[in-house]
Amino acid sequence: MDNKRKYVIPGDVVTTGPFRPEQNVILEGNKIISTTIGISEIYDDSVKVIPLTGKYIPKINDLVIGKVISHTSLSWELDINSCYVGFLPAQDVFGRDFSAHADELTSKLKSGDLVAARIANFDRTRDPLVTISDRDLGKIDSGDLVKISPSKVPRLIGKRGSMIQMIEMATNAAVTIGQNGWVVVSCETPEGLLKAKKAIEMINEKAHVANLTDQVKDMLEIKEDES
Amino acid sequence: MTSTSVLDDLKKTQILELLEQGKRVDGRALDEAREIIVETNVVPHANGSARIRLGDTVVMCGVKIQPDRPFPDTGDKGLFICTAELLPLSHPTVETGPPQPPVIELARVVDRGIRESHMVDVTQLVIEKDKSVIGVFADNVVIDYDGNLFDACSYASTAALLSSKTPKWNWTDDAPVLAEGEDTDLPITTIPVSVTMGKIGNHIVVDPNGDEWDTMDARITITSDSDGNICALQKGGSDGFTQDEINQCGEISVRVGAKIREKLKEAQKGTQ
Amino acid sequence: MGGRDAKMVLLDENGIRCDGRKVDEPRKIMIKAGGLKNADGSAYIEFGENKILVGVFGPRDVHPKHMSNTDTGILRVRYHMEPFSVGERKNPAPSRREIEISKVIKEALEPAVMLEKFPRTAVDVFIEILQADGGTRCAALTAASVALADAGIPMRDMVAAIAAGKVADTVILDVNNEEDQAGQADMPIGYMPSLEKITLLQLDGVLTPEEYKKCVDVGVQGCKLVYDLQKKALNDQYFGKGGD
Repeated sequence: MDNKRKYVIPGDVVTTGPFRPEQNVILEGNKIISTTIGISEIYDDSVKVIPLTGKYIPKINDLVIGKVISHTSLSWELDINSCYVGFLPAQDVFGRDFSAHADELTSKLKSGDLVAARIANFDRTRDPLVTISDRDLGKIDSGDLVKISPSKVPRLIGKRGSMIQMIEMATNAAVTIGQNGWVVVSCETPEGLLKAKKAIEMINEKAHVANLTDQVKDMLEIKEDES
Repeated sequence: MTSTSVLDDLKKTQILELLEQGKRVDGRALDEAREIIVETNVVPHANGSARIRLGDTVVMCGVKIQPDRPFPDTGDKGLFICTAELLPLSHPTVETGPPQPPVIELARVVDRGIRESHMVDVTQLVIEKDKSVIGVFADNVVIDYDGNLFDACSYASTAALLSSKTPKWNWTDDAPVLAEGEDTDLPITTIPVSVTMGKIGNHIVVDPNGDEWDTMDARITITSDSDGNICALQKGGSDGFTQDEINQCGEISVRVGAKIREKLKEAQKGTQ
Repeated sequence: MGGRDAKMVLLDENGIRCDGRKVDEPRKIMIKAGGLKNADGSAYIEFGENKILVGVFGPRDVHPKHMSNTDTGILRVRYHMEPFSVGERKNPAPSRREIEISKVIKEALEPAVMLEKFPRTAVDVFIEILQADGGTRCAALTAASVALADAGIPMRDMVAAIAAGKVADTVILDVNNEEDQAGQADMPIGYMPSLEKITLLQLDGVLTPEEYKKCVDVGVQGCKLVYDLQKKALNDQYFGKGGD
């Protein structure tokens, strides 16, 4: 590991001096201290720590997989694997003419349903607002839900999507990755489905390992000329 | 288990579809229990203890043995009390506070399963008739939850009791006095084994895991002893069983129970 | 292993304590991060004969809603002893001692946990004492800190804890059960190593002003030893043997 990156735990001093503290670090006097378990990175003038654990913190425009856990007459509440519950207003699904008397929410979505959604708005004073009104969003009718740590999602996607594309091509599975660590995998063949799920679980467990890509390739039995 | 955890629909559908084909999500047969891992003496300061892993469900049982006053109408019998507690760290939906009805039911069913089998011979636990007896407390705590706490607590209690050592007390000058260095095994007459079955649609599955527990319509826990006799039973859940299903469950519980009994005996011998 | 034996020698002529340790020697400590499947974070500690498990959930929604705080998250701590954890079987209902210790540990962790980042949520810390042998609150606080880090909850610093004390007019480190019962003073200390702040401090017993300062110093140095083991536990779990 080069000088600019190191493993840190909460309270560890990443560096001292005139740097700008970014994600997951704080400034104490002239010391920049990590607030989480992770890998610190020092850029030209700023310092951040990439966390290796922790819940998903919603970011506007993130694609997430959510599970409906309850509803009122005006909205649904979604579990999005975060500290906060996702808020999906009825108008998002029924449209502007939504009427609380006439339109029954459970006709579209009920408890236990999984949806692909996008974070429409979030600030810490309110629960995150989600939407499912784009073409690639909405209720998920089939597939298996695999849960990984949100901090491993970048590894699962890979540089410019290279890791997930490799898995999809080798198994013929279709994978929808939520930034919140929930992943839906569907495949026509049970073998492909099992392999894809194993690959995802392997990445979740070994994200910090250097030759992970090779290990996944081996597991998927990808021959060199195919990759 | 509380009902506020929502199982996703896809999982439910998957469980039902597989059952129609005679299969389960984790590959088990319908009458197959999960792998059981038994460790004893995990709390060395207690008189006996065990930790059971039933799949991802983890339960610990500690046995404390100490002198106590007998109940007024049974001065010639020692005390046996078995409890169960669901620890809040075992699942996000567990709340702190006084035990709710499902946990009280769990504790009482586990207690009855062992008591009704007469596993511990309480007539051998008298220090001085009507004045002082030995009290055996088996306290279960659930550490991680993935379904079927009835069986996990039952196995933890049984394993802990089988490996317990009881001190000896002599009645001297109107008080029980500890006789150092005279520890013995507890007076054990039989090894009760509980087997819990869930009913999902028309299918009976043994040892439902967490997802199956959330999907099932009803359940039944049947405890059998070393002679193959059924000594305790509890039906729960909001659906009913047919008479045939009840008979089928009885047969399964004795058969599957016998295999699990061997596992618990092995653990007692310390070969695990 | 009686505790009230007046004839028990707590410190012999060679400076050896009743369990064979030297005056500045802590008991054997083992800390493991992770281990529970359902909790968001967890840790297990063995501190001498103490065996303690901690599970953490959060930040998460607060129920009932009126308990939540619009400006900051809240920390809730439950220190609970199993009936089989102590010499005489303990009633499962929470005792006043457990309630007090829960509060003291909560206040020892609050300076470290960055609750202001998660308004309207709660972080729940559940401490389960499986076997007790003196110094459970320090061991519990130490494990709780590891479990919070394991859960990824932002913290300004870790909190490490150990008790200093006095037996036979001598200041010692890490008081065990016999020393707590029959000794002259017991001072549990919780300490944030980077920020150099003491966040838990209690005292049972009588100390001269010099002994008081010495106890605090011995305790703080002891906390630094404990902190090294917390670091090791997290390193082993996260940075492993196959890391970069």
